[in-house]
Amino acid sequence: MNAFEGTLSKESGGRRWLVPALLALLVFGALPALLAGFDRGYFYQIANLALIFVLLSASMHLVTGVAGLLHLGHAAFYGVGAYTAALLTSKLGLGFTVTLPLSGVVAALLAFLVALPTMRLVSIYFAVATLAIGQMLYLVMLNWVDFTKGPNGIIVTKGFELFGVALSGRLASYYTVAVVVVLCVVAIGRLSHSYYGNALRSIREDDQCADAMGVRTVRLKMEVFTLSAFFAGVAGALWAHMTGYISPGDFKFSESILILAMVVVGGLGSLPGAIIGALLLILLPEGLRALGDFRNVMVGLVMFLSILLLPKGLLGEVSALRLVRRQLGGAWRSTGKGEGIGWR
Amino acid sequence: MTHLLDVRNASRRFGGVQAVNDVTAHVDEGELVGLIGPNGAGKTTLFNLMSGFTPLSSGTVAFAGRTINGMKPNQVARLGVGRTFQNLRVFPNMSVFDNVSVGAVGTLPQGPAGALFGGFTKAGTERADAISRRTWEALEAVGLTHLAGELAANLPYGQRKYLEIARALAMRPRFLILDEPAAGLNDTETRALAAFIKRLHGQGLTIMLVEHDMGLVMGICQRILVLASGRKIADGPPDLIRRDPAVLEAYLGVES
Repeated sequence: MNAFEGTLSKESGGRRWLVPALLALLVFGALPALLAGFDRGYFYQIANLALIFVLLSASMHLVTGVAGLLHLGHAAFYGVGAYTAALLTSKLGLGFTVTLPLSGVVAALLAFLVALPTMRLVSIYFAVATLAIGQMLYLVMLNWVDFTKGPNGIIVTKGFELFGVALSGRLASYYTVAVVVVLCVVAIGRLSHSYYGNALRSIREDDQCADAMGVRTVRLKMEVFTLSAFFAGVAGALWAHMTGYISPGDFKFSESILILAMVVVGGLGSLPGAIIGALLLILLPEGLRALGDFRNVMVGLVMFLSILLLPKGLLGEVSALRLVRRQLGGAWRSTGKGEGIGWR
Repeated sequence: MTHLLDVRNASRRFGGVQAVNDVTAHVDEGELVGLIGPNGAGKTTLFNLMSGFTPLSSGTVAFAGRTINGMKPNQVARLGVGRTFQNLRVFPNMSVFDNVSVGAVGTLPQGPAGALFGGFTKAGTERADAISRRTWEALEAVGLTHLAGELAANLPYGQRKYLEIARALAMRPRFLILDEPAAGLNDTETRALAAFIKRLHGQGLTIMLVEHDMGLVMGICQRILVLASGRKIADGPPDLIRRDPAVLEAYLGVES
């Protein structure tokens, strides 16, 4: 093994930090400066919504893109998170600092419980099971009127705060959403760009074969399903405290499909792709408002054409991995070629 | 003494078909054993019984002194049994490096916590380094380091075979089972493969070779097990197997 020590030298130089630094500058510097310059509530709303869907898309990327489990009920866990936050606020008077992690935990717990019996199902049967789970949760939100106020929805009286310090105002709200989303996306990035991520990918590629390599396939599927629900729940808490009002309609089946479309349009298995897909499918309909009713046809057309012309997505998995390995760190130098290839 | 692999009275029935019938066999540490038999003899079923893919109908299979009946394939794998597949099963949409790393991460697990925070702890970085090192070593062993970044789907057939072997080697197995490794290879490639398997064996690895075709097995194996119609009909060194009347009858249908 000594012969390989030389190849384990860490990728050197500051170039590794260039892309993350630029992205951070964009999200925490340029974009809020622009928003503040225009100072229109509508723009803030769009920016926050786009960020929340980036998180939803990224969390679905983990379960569907990386682990290959077709999940058709993701929006329901987003809803569970939102309702957890809303109910904790309205019934117990808790603030965002507490509701944010709890929303994730409750969504994850619920996902864990439903995953127990469903994880042994394969492909299409698993997809149908998640569809049923999503519908069930949606119907609970809709029909358990005593608890969830049903179709009337819940007003969330508290905005963002940190340990009792209110983060009110548009810019503070934007920063709150951005910080939470970026932290979660970085976490998802570490999960999917690691040897753990490779084990998840092997399940997607050929789960029997992964099993023969010692990969605990059922356990990993449970983990990734639960983790993705956690992040969806966190997104739900952001949404609840941001809009101040939630109703079951925000979490219906079509939202799950929208998130799935983001992941697929961006490129299955590609985290940057999932982010691009989310931005595209949130910003495009807004940008096309001038077209009136015609805009949704245009959005559909864009989705249709992107799948037809780029079946691997706008930024497919292979190019995304190459990008992440070169620019975002954690890479080893391979023998002599100077190309980082492992994870750390 | 205890055998590394100990199969006792193993049987497996699929509906009305007795695929493996009361087979008793063993493999000792350091051996290079061949498992041959005509089509439908039960080779693959026996193989699957040994790697946890198929549960036994009756009998026992023990590996390194532990009974593996009822274990899942991944448990058997983590005990130290590595395998390849008859019809090439690489992970096509993953790079060569990532393919091989799965064998390493399967036996040196990295969990979600390790992926998230491993980079900040000593144990976590050491685990990632160990996986990386095993992966490079396995790639080096089969001579695929220069293709580490290539997508597995882009590799030609012959190299994919070695990729599959590298993936199994990254598990650091105590016992490696190769399922028809020579299938689809021409004579030159088969000879190169034979030399490669001999080299692995020479490094101390215990290997079982499941082959449909006698040539490769006769050439390199020290001992050969012969199956026919689910039963073991012979067990011995190549010279004896070559002259064994039961084997000749099974293969050629000669009355002797």
